[in-house]
Amino acid sequence: MNLVRFALAGCVLAGAGTLAQAKPIAFSHGTTIMAEYGAGTMTEAQVFYAPKYFLSLGGGHLQLESDVDHRRREITYVRANYLAKRWNLEDAQANVFVWGGAGQAYVSELHQHQLAGNAGAQVDYETRRIYASLKTELHRADAFSHRIDTLQLGIAPYEHDTNTLATWFVLQGRQVSGGIHEGTEWALLLRLFRRGAWIEAGATGDGKLQAMAMVNF
Amino acid sequence: MKKLSFFAFALLAGIAQAGTIEMKVHGLVCGFCAQGIEKTLRRNPATADVVVSLEKKLVAVATRDGQDISDAELTKALIDSGYEVKGITRTQRSLDEIRAGLEQKKK
Repeated sequence: MNLVRFALAGCVLAGAGTLAQAKPIAFSHGTTIMAEYGAGTMTEAQVFYAPKYFLSLGGGHLQLESDVDHRRREITYVRANYLAKRWNLEDAQANVFVWGGAGQAYVSELHQHQLAGNAGAQVDYETRRIYASLKTELHRADAFSHRIDTLQLGIAPYEHDTNTLATWFVLQGRQVSGGIHEGTEWALLLRLFRRGAWIEAGATGDGKLQAMAMVNF
Repeated sequence: MKKLSFFAFALLAGIAQAGTIEMKVHGLVCGFCAQGIEKTLRRNPATADVVVSLEKKLVAVATRDGQDISDAELTKALIDSGYEVKGITRTQRSLDEIRAGLEQKKK
């Protein structure tokens, strides 16, 4: 079943409506620095500054390594993130983010650098106990077109507060289109955050490390 | 004597104005929410201290002696942080008392 349909079905079953993960905009006048290591097939680093709570600007570097052959993409980009809609509910928050940008991609099989564009969207929903997000992003150049879909479903064993450590158990599913990876990669993650510091780590279904660290200040 | 009375009055008025503003806010679900709100409110020169409680959906601001922050300014600060204010009340509880109350509830 494709990941998007699975995500929507999961939400309906959970009665939760929609989906969250690390947000591309943390808060107004905030800077976000993020680094992710994805099971040896995806590595990404990003830096964003938000002049407004609904807008952040910055850039990143994404490396995709095929688990099918030896193809590799190294994409360096600038990006603008926009909070298209936020619902502030009494005990929950839901968001819709969209983004787009451009940069340069190194295509290993051609030994070439090409102009690359990116666009994406994220829908998330979270309370202090449950959390869900669906993110889809497209990276495109003359030589490739890869869509990366990431679903995260999380549950917290207790409700954290402003100055206490938040603990989450997160199930992540990820698919990359364009023939660079096969199937959906599932991972179980332990996420910890307190104030502006966030760290998560876990393992994929085949035992590979999946980790992410983020700071907001 | 008149001068002394004037200073005493001014001092008392200043103390009376240095109060606590408590706001009920929706959408507070994570530490990042609190961090953003605190950062915005602390930029106001009248702010002495800020407490955010996710559990109580509460944002409390202590103002400096003799200073105040209008409801309109507070509402704008919260909107600029991406949140909605559902109610504003002015109390005489200090932020230390509010913090103590929140700690007590956790125990």
